[in-house]
Amino acid sequence: MSIQLQVDQLHWQINDKVILNNISFKVSKGEVIGIIGPNGAGKTSLLNSITKQVKNSANSKLTGTIHLKNKELKQYTSKQLAQHFALVAQKSEPIFSLTVTDIVKLGLLPHQGLFTLDSDHDKEQVKLALSKVGLANSSEKSFNQLSGGEQQRVLIARALVQRAQILILDEPTNHLDVFYQHQILQLVKQLKITVIMTVHDLNLASQYCQRLLLLNQGELICDGNPDEVLSKENLQQIFKLPCLLERDPFTHTPRVYFSPPHQEDEYKSSGANNG
Amino acid sequence: MVNVLSLNKLTTKVCLLTAFLLISLVAGLNFGPANFTPGQVLNCLIASCDNPISEMVIWQVRVPRVLVALVAGMGLAITGAILQNTTRNPLADPYLFGIISGAGLGATLANLILGDELSITLPLAAFLGALFAITIVVFIAKALQRMEQLLLAGVAVSFMLSSITQFILYFGEPFATNRVIFWLMGSLARVEMSNFYVIATILLIAIAIIIALHRQIDALLLGDESAASLGVNVDQLRLLMLGLCAALSATIVAYCGGIGFVGLMIPHIVRQLIGVTTLKLVLGSALIGGSFLIWVDIIARSALTHAEIPIGIITSALGSIFFLFIMLRTRKTN
Repeated sequence: MSIQLQVDQLHWQINDKVILNNISFKVSKGEVIGIIGPNGAGKTSLLNSITKQVKNSANSKLTGTIHLKNKELKQYTSKQLAQHFALVAQKSEPIFSLTVTDIVKLGLLPHQGLFTLDSDHDKEQVKLALSKVGLANSSEKSFNQLSGGEQQRVLIARALVQRAQILILDEPTNHLDVFYQHQILQLVKQLKITVIMTVHDLNLASQYCQRLLLLNQGELICDGNPDEVLSKENLQQIFKLPCLLERDPFTHTPRVYFSPPHQEDEYKSSGANNG
Repeated sequence: MVNVLSLNKLTTKVCLLTAFLLISLVAGLNFGPANFTPGQVLNCLIASCDNPISEMVIWQVRVPRVLVALVAGMGLAITGAILQNTTRNPLADPYLFGIISGAGLGATLANLILGDELSITLPLAAFLGALFAITIVVFIAKALQRMEQLLLAGVAVSFMLSSITQFILYFGEPFATNRVIFWLMGSLARVEMSNFYVIATILLIAIAIIIALHRQIDALLLGDESAASLGVNVDQLRLLMLGLCAALSATIVAYCGGIGFVGLMIPHIVRQLIGVTTLKLVLGSALIGGSFLIWVDIIARSALTHAEIPIGIITSALGSIFFLFIMLRTRKTN
């Protein structure tokens, strides 16, 4: 598989505080990668620096290189970058009552010049993307009145219209109930494009990502498939809680259980093992 | 099917609003202290006037006045719409950015320094004052490195400049002070055709730039992060739009004085009636804003028999009633 994105020695520091510490990894075409780790580990910061949203200033210093298709990220204009990356932010609240179509249409922006009007092809693209995410009948609805899961799907449809090769999602399952969590991740996986996302829930990450990056305090602790990354040693060291590992009965991926510190002994005495 | 229907609905609305604007223009030309029949006015406009007096009244008083009301109303409403969309704040308008108080300070200083030659220099001084105000506002917001705090910076600057103005006026010569105070209330009584040309030129340039960038402005509605990920240079776009709005509203204020609430109220109506995306909003604001100010000016010159009411007083009164009405209605529906 060809390398699409290559991150080398990425280091970001604000004053004396290290946000990202010499992170390196490669992303191949079509991979679904989950970035996991505790709060403040640098998950969203890593996404932001990949999408060039971090700028150097007097206090903030970003070093290292990122190559997108053999060309350094710095050489891309923001418009070119938008043709490669599509971002689904954690929270999107349009201030006025935009319709679903209004929002999906914005995905066309990186491909349009000034004064251009929507062509029939553009309109077709919007329709197609909406039907792909199962919202063909909601095109004229107000975005603000949709459920959290539907809003995420609209934003994914926008990313599809953007025709980006890499989809970046920041906590796509946040605030969603169990049904929508699985629906969104299933959808993302079926798109068959490269996906890099931060995921808070380790078990969802394990079920839907073929590769995980485990971050802690700005450092990349482990990079590999869920079985390699979700080891008892890694998890206990980073999350500072006793844990148990089992196999998910449906997907056969690793499944993690944490216990409050004082209850660990009770678990042991009740005969549970780390399977 | 849905798209076709909504497009037709939009076209119908735009046609109706355009028709209303034309009616407003005709009405604006027919109202006034001098009594002419609509036939006389029409004849004077398209063929020849009955006598030199009617020619003077219609061509040198009414036509410039109605045309300036048209472009000033359009300009103020568009300014409000763009400021609201680019700052993601439904309460943004030229007043809140210190543009009007800056113009007031410019006018007051010109009054203090130049005295009698005021009539020529007042618009220029007001324009410079408005640009000065917006420059400070942007400078403060940039120093804070937070463009979203533009509005708060605007409110602070606005109060500061107003207090300086009031201080100068308080100790100023009463006659000249009166002149500035009346100017601040807004009036179209002394406008000329040349004012129309200046405002219309800047308005057309502004509209062309907005049409070119309408999608990028729409992207800002989703938030800065999303807009940036769609390839929009957020700070640059916001600064450009701010400069454009400052130039447009400062020019209007310079010739017409302080006209409040148009920029706040009209986009609010347009969002309910036509839509929230930039193209629809600007088109609707132009049509409704233009008609609105023509009618306000008709009221200003015909409500009292012996005097004119300053136009800013009427827009502020209508604006505040309008907002109370909206608040009551939302409370009911909630």
